[in-house]
Amino acid sequence: MKRIWWAQIKAVIRLEMRKTFFAKRGLWIYVVAALPVMLFIAYAIATSSQQNRSADIARQGERPLTYQDLQAVHTGMTGEEVIAILGKPPITFHWKENRPPESEKGASIEILHEDYHYSDGQNDLYLGLADGKVQSINIRQGNNLGQDSIMFAGVFQFFFLRLAIFFGCLGIFMNLFRGEILDRSLHFYFLAPARREVVMAGKFLAGLLATCTIFVTSEVLQTIAFLWHFSPGARDLYLYHNHGLQHAVIYAGVTVLACVGYGAFFLVAGMLFRNPILPAAAILIWEGINPFLPTVLRQFSVIYYLKSLCPVDIPTPPGTPPVLALLISNSDPVAAPIAILGILVVALIALYVSSIQIRRMEINYTTE
Amino acid sequence: MNDRILFEDVSKFYGEILGVNRVNLSIPPGITSLVGPNGSGKTTLMNLMTGLVRPTRGRIHVLDYKIDDPENLFRILGYSTQFDAFPKGLNGFQFVYSYLRLAGRDSQSAEQMAWRAIERVNLVDAAKRNIAGYSKGMRQRIRLAQALSHDPKVLVLDEPLNGLDPLARSEMIALFRATAAEGCYVIISSHILHEVDVISDQVILLSNGYVVAEGKIHNVRSEIQEHPTQILIRCNRPRELAAKMLEYEHTIEVSIHKDERGLLLKTRDADRFYLALNEIALNGIDIESVAPADDDVLSVYEYLIGNEEVVR
Repeated sequence: MKRIWWAQIKAVIRLEMRKTFFAKRGLWIYVVAALPVMLFIAYAIATSSQQNRSADIARQGERPLTYQDLQAVHTGMTGEEVIAILGKPPITFHWKENRPPESEKGASIEILHEDYHYSDGQNDLYLGLADGKVQSINIRQGNNLGQDSIMFAGVFQFFFLRLAIFFGCLGIFMNLFRGEILDRSLHFYFLAPARREVVMAGKFLAGLLATCTIFVTSEVLQTIAFLWHFSPGARDLYLYHNHGLQHAVIYAGVTVLACVGYGAFFLVAGMLFRNPILPAAAILIWEGINPFLPTVLRQFSVIYYLKSLCPVDIPTPPGTPPVLALLISNSDPVAAPIAILGILVVALIALYVSSIQIRRMEINYTTE
Repeated sequence: MNDRILFEDVSKFYGEILGVNRVNLSIPPGITSLVGPNGSGKTTLMNLMTGLVRPTRGRIHVLDYKIDDPENLFRILGYSTQFDAFPKGLNGFQFVYSYLRLAGRDSQSAEQMAWRAIERVNLVDAAKRNIAGYSKGMRQRIRLAQALSHDPKVLVLDEPLNGLDPLARSEMIALFRATAAEGCYVIISSHILHEVDVISDQVILLSNGYVVAEGKIHNVRSEIQEHPTQILIRCNRPRELAAKMLEYEHTIEVSIHKDERGLLLKTRDADRFYLALNEIALNGIDIESVAPADDDVLSVYEYLIGNEEVVR
């Protein structure tokens, strides 16, 4: 690449970054990027509060309990038997129920209900007793990094990747050219002694820099919020011994690749279409129906490759309808190098079409 | 090596709407004015010349450059458009500076060239203000600074005097003249005919997408045969001169000037008129001056195009 082209690309990036980061019409992109962060912060606050409550209950107990102790209780045990195993419950509720008589002449039956609430400091045990015998057992497990990482994967795949990054890229990349045509300022670039392909490359890189900054920052903040309420020991164990750090880096990489793929798509769409709704809807539907397409067609989408790169598979619960199961699972994953190459090839094809389009583009604002 | 701006059988249609049709032009250095009413094709011709729109048919060369090669074309060409929009958030200096950085200039030379261009259009004091707060005339001048900033050989200016106050107009006209005097090509579109008359070396008259005349205004006028030439003669005895002139067959009409110190004469043969005037002058009438009265853009424009939206 000629040195002057790189200088021109940097000049375009400088001009575009100002517009992309501080445009009023792009504020909603920050909101979309911040939504999953806020979700994880809310979850962390709720979980921390729950943890504190569990710890309080554990402290109020007669003796320290383990998770095995909580599991030792089973239905049909008497209250005394439960107290023998777990000690006096720190929290109890009781009330009486008057059941109507079974026959017209009979007297009503009074049943005593009791609720016992125990905790080992992490997990809570809720017991329901009727007439002194255990009738219901409910163990609420405390925060579990394994389960939470699956929740994180679900939010990442189904909200962040498919909606937040998708619409964020739509907002930024479609406006790179379409926005300036509507503002009637695109001629500024076309009057410069620069190849139009160079202008396009500069604009694409500016869009990429903006989307990557916004969404990778969001992904990092999500990870921090997601790990916030765990103890330092649990965090270290997850990050350094259970691939947590590796997963976080992979998620950031997938975010960057998503910006590359969707960015290239929306760049060309912004040149070809006046109304962004139609191509956006078409691409959203195309990406949405991807699991139902034949393999040959699946390869021409971004989500096909991105799903294969995600580090945590989302399990399909038993009884899930087949259509939903197909949507959740990744039945035909491709190897990471092929997935990365695939996204780059899809992006390059889109950029090639853009370069042809920009060479043909005329400044004729009155027809827009 | 081509030293002209050439249009070879160029047509441009916007769908079914005619922009310009079958244009053949060869534009030499100097100030060339495109004259015509709104919608006559002036801006289309300029946009074609700069590659902002592509011809439906025909070829255009700007000196040795093709219009689909912006990387090289705009090294020798600067275009001040009529589009009154700018990249958002820039001040005047940043607008010109960014353009020069986009042209591949390093930071230091871009800064120097930007300030020099801003000085040439007398906008230094306002250069650090946001363009959004500029008046129409200031926006016009900053666009001009951008077009001039890289010292182009060809300067294309679409209605460059619009929105300027009289002082700024005369400054800009002086600037165009100085640029043309350096051997540059200055192409100006205007519908203000007296200004065109003052500044142009040659004119291109447009009407409804067609070029109706081109060249030096005197040459264009002399080729219009169907309209008699009007001549203003200043002399000491106008009534006597008028009587003598009416004896000639080529004289169509004579009227005495209201100050009684000259007469306006219409002749269908200017060459024979000058011969006759020489004879009369030898017989004792003191002729102070003789000047064509309709050898200007306004007259030519009216003869060729009519009275459409012309601003005198």
